Amino acid sequence: MASAGPRLPMLTTLARWTTRLGRSALALPLAVLVAGLMIMVSETVFTGADNQLSRLVQRGKVRLQISALLQRITDAESGQRGYLLTGSNDYLTPYRDANLDAQRAIGELQSLYRQLGDNGSQAALAALDQDVQTKLSELREVLALKGDGRNAAAVELMRSGIGRERMDAIRQKATGLFDAESRRVTTGLAEVFNILRLGRVGVALMTALSLLMLLMFLRQGRQLDRHRAWQQAQVLAERDRLEVEVSARTTELTELARHLETTREDERARLARDLHDELGALLTAAKLDVARMRPRLQQDLPELLPRIGHLVETLNSGIALKRRIIEDLRPSSLDNLGLLPALEVLCADFADRLGVPVITRLEPVRLTASADLTVFRLVQESLNNIAKYAQATEVQVSLQDRGEMASVTVRDNGSGFDTELTGLGRHGLIGMRYRVEAEHGKFSLQSAPGQGTALGARLPQRAPAEPGCAKPTGATAATLR
Amino acid sequence: MSNLPAAIHQPTAAPGLRCFLVEDSPVIRYNLIATLEEMLPMRVVGFAEDAPGAERWMAMSGTDCDLLIIDIFLKAGTGLEVLQQAGRLCPAARRVVLTNYATPDMRQRCLQLGADRVFDKSAELDELLVYCAGLAPTQAS
Repeated sequence: MASAGPRLPMLTTLARWTTRLGRSALALPLAVLVAGLMIMVSETVFTGADNQLSRLVQRGKVRLQISALLQRITDAESGQRGYLLTGSNDYLTPYRDANLDAQRAIGELQSLYRQLGDNGSQAALAALDQDVQTKLSELREVLALKGDGRNAAAVELMRSGIGRERMDAIRQKATGLFDAESRRVTTGLAEVFNILRLGRVGVALMTALSLLMLLMFLRQGRQLDRHRAWQQAQVLAERDRLEVEVSARTTELTELARHLETTREDERARLARDLHDELGALLTAAKLDVARMRPRLQQDLPELLPRIGHLVETLNSGIALKRRIIEDLRPSSLDNLGLLPALEVLCADFADRLGVPVITRLEPVRLTASADLTVFRLVQESLNNIAKYAQATEVQVSLQDRGEMASVTVRDNGSGFDTELTGLGRHGLIGMRYRVEAEHGKFSLQSAPGQGTALGARLPQRAPAEPGCAKPTGATAATLR
Repeated sequence: MSNLPAAIHQPTAAPGLRCFLVEDSPVIRYNLIATLEEMLPMRVVGFAEDAPGAERWMAMSGTDCDLLIIDIFLKAGTGLEVLQQAGRLCPAARRVVLTNYATPDMRQRCLQLGADRVFDKSAELDELLVYCAGLAPTQAS
């Protein structure tokens, strides 16, 4: 229980640390480092073990050579004894072989000790070599005496015990060297085991570290995924926000367009009224003056009559101009006659003005006063566009009752245009679109170069029972003006 | 301004047509009165510039007039209302509409409401004068 307390914060610290590490870009370099360390550990273990084992092999060879040396010396001694006893030359051959082998074994041992860099053993070997040489020379001496037939002297020399002492010394030294090598082999083997154990620990450690790295990688990947998902959610939220914004702006623009259109229509109506009332009164007054002057002039100054005639013509032209401007500003036919006759008048005027046949198919529809005006303006603007750009040879205007909606279409067989292109003359179309949308209608435009243009709108109709559909009979100034 | 006394001339026994004018534009009123009185044996015995004023005058002295010249758009009310009332209040008087809105539809409506003639204010002034001259009693002008 006591250890759980301090361990818990330590674990959380570790977790935080790994999290931070996992988030950072350090994970990959760390993984590479761990892999490098792992290779290094394994290489170190291999080199250490390999080195130690090859030394052990050398030491094994040393031991073999020591044993062989001792054996050959013993063989040489027993060959000498055989020869002394029998006098047979057969015993001389093993002696000679053993002699040579012993010399070779010493040479071998010297080179092995040199390779091992074992100075102490080299000194011991030198001492052994001396004993061996002494022993061999003693043997040679004895054999030489025997070969000369001096048997007694040979036996005497042997009895002197010099050979035995030498032999004991050789055996003692060789055993010493052998034991020393054996000890070294034992410690070498222990070292090898140590190295292998170290390697085992290192590999286990490195494996654990790699596992940790892997975990960090996975964690990082998961975090990246989570981050990406978060970003995607952000992007989606932003898109939704923008969509809402766009629709809000569109609504704003539609409202603005409606407001501007209403303002414009009001302004036009006011202008039309002013022109009508003020300018109309002035022109009428002028004409009344002329009417009063005419009889007097006829009596007194008949030569001025043509001038009066001209003045009347000028006044009539002014009146006609005033009418045209007023009609343009505010279609009184729409107010006075209703939508259908107003459209008929408009189309007839257009056909007269441009000499292009206009085929009308107009059905009674039930629209609000402002929607009536929108339809009228749409047809008016379309016809103006056709007059300006289309070079059409036939125009069709239709107004149809489609249940809940009324549909108006103006179609020409003129030059058409690319609806994707923007440019001059398009603002009129955009204005029309906004105007139709402000009346909760749908605007449509179809055109292609050389294919003519079809421009239309669908506008919601009033319920049939609603009063006010019929043309007002008890007319008031408001509806007439 | 609309509450001006409706009558400016007291009806007298003088000869000629007695005319009542319903017109809200002072410019036209001034010129029209001058023209009518100068060119025709006619006296403009009163005027109004809105429908209530016209109705008040007609209720008071509607029988003392031979001709009503009525504009359609007035400062208050319309000439159409005046036309309707005139049938009741001045049954003897001729009723003429003089308007800038002499569309066929408007002419039709005025005639239905009892107008004798409808003239366009800017194009048919001469015709109005000729018509009025025809109404005048045959006497030397």
